[in-house]
Amino acid sequence: MEQVIVNSLILGMNYALIALGLTLIFAIMNVLNFAHGQMYVLGGFITYYALQVLHLPFVVGLVASVVVLVLVGLLSERLLFRRAIRVSTREESTMLLAAGLALLLESLILLFFGEKQRGMPPIISGVYQVFGVYIPAGRAFVFAIALASLIGFVTFMQFTRPGRALRAIAQDKEVTALQGVNINRYGALGFGLGAGLTGLAGSLLATIFAVNSGLGTAVSIKAFIMVMLGGAGVVSGAIAGAFVLGFLESFGYAYMPGSVTYMLIFAGMIIFLVFRPQGIMGKPWG
Amino acid sequence: MSSYFEARNLDVYYDKVKALSDVSMVLGEGDIVAIIGTNGAGKTTTLRAFTGLTRIATGEIWYQGKRIDQLNPDQIVGLGISMVPEGRHIYPLMNVRDNLLMGAFLRRDKAEVKRDLERMCERFPFLKERMRQQASTLSGGEQQMVAISRALMARPKLLLMDEPSLGLAPKVVREIARSILAINREDKVSVILVEQNSRMALKLSSRAYVLETGRVALEGASEELVNNEDVRRLYLGA
Repeated sequence: MEQVIVNSLILGMNYALIALGLTLIFAIMNVLNFAHGQMYVLGGFITYYALQVLHLPFVVGLVASVVVLVLVGLLSERLLFRRAIRVSTREESTMLLAAGLALLLESLILLFFGEKQRGMPPIISGVYQVFGVYIPAGRAFVFAIALASLIGFVTFMQFTRPGRALRAIAQDKEVTALQGVNINRYGALGFGLGAGLTGLAGSLLATIFAVNSGLGTAVSIKAFIMVMLGGAGVVSGAIAGAFVLGFLESFGYAYMPGSVTYMLIFAGMIIFLVFRPQGIMGKPWG
Repeated sequence: MSSYFEARNLDVYYDKVKALSDVSMVLGEGDIVAIIGTNGAGKTTTLRAFTGLTRIATGEIWYQGKRIDQLNPDQIVGLGISMVPEGRHIYPLMNVRDNLLMGAFLRRDKAEVKRDLERMCERFPFLKERMRQQASTLSGGEQQMVAISRALMARPKLLLMDEPSLGLAPKVVREIARSILAINREDKVSVILVEQNSRMALKLSSRAYVLETGRVALEGASEELVNNEDVRRLYLGA
């Protein structure tokens, strides 16, 4: 039981990074990033490649994953989404574009990294024992980095000038332009940060669960579940949704036959959204 | 010699619908100029054109000897033109302090920004206790004062105000009117005031423009417009 709770927390913490990335891109750009899962997978593979093929230290792999994903985010905003938003007023355009980007990234990943499931040995060996619960050091390490990144991100959003500008854009784009914020530049920043966060999560979780090129869609679906549960575009909602899903998934996998868990999660989510369509923390935005 | 602020022969279209037609306006430094007219006359569109939110099809906009009609909104703010948008449009999910700090987004003089926060509290004393409060919890009048303070935090030289009295109680409207005069006289800010409350607008301004279906129907000194037969009948209900 305690073991499952610990697993839930580790999972929830990393899911929070994924969900925050997705909700940030949605809030800033009004884009549903269907390529989010593929960005996660790319982050995982880059870390795998750095560690297992190039034999670099984990820190290098982690930083490489984040940097590459930030660049992927910036480039997709600059070259694809900004243009689509400018020439089309229909939201489907960016959704289709994101779906296309997902296919592109998935194909590229398959091309470069192959179709095999790739794992790696724990970053740190050893096991901690806390209150009778066994926590592998590698998992504790992943948890700590995810927690630090989460705190760092929330601090950035809450207390810095660019963070404030991103929050402002999420609430009112036009009025934020009237305060002197370059909306294009900050849209790119939001997209880069969102992609970087999911790349970070991909890098961290690849050291625990391994990664394969087909994983992206499943991760995207999980990310959307978290954001919908928590409330789209709300930071606290993304974190809440991530931990809810982390717990449901860990407990489900521990006590139920494998395929039942997500069936129940989906059913539960549908019922939940019927009664509270704006999610846990969602508010009708004024 | 060019004027402090001048719009020449503006045409604006929304898709194929013409919203402004041959609109020209002039504002001298330190003046308060009013734009009055009914709903849909083009008042807001005029201000949107001035701030770069809406692109003009033809015409020119000049500010301090510089042509600004091809600039983006954030560049225009940087030149010293700020806007108080219609319906206030404060950030509802931010606290009051962050709302005001957004107004100072382009400023790098942190110490001065801090002093300006205090000066806003002197002008609108309720701000002081509400700094950490979420802006959506404020009353309509308070939100309007936050919107005005946010615009002032940029230290503008020209302030565009879109319907600052809309939906407010008479007592609050008088307070807003007083603060517009104070901003103009004490802070030396020129003001373009868009109002449906024509009586208030004509009282505060030295010159005024009357817009009708996207055109300037009348212009002149506010004192004279107050006594104009048509203006009295159509806009002052007298």
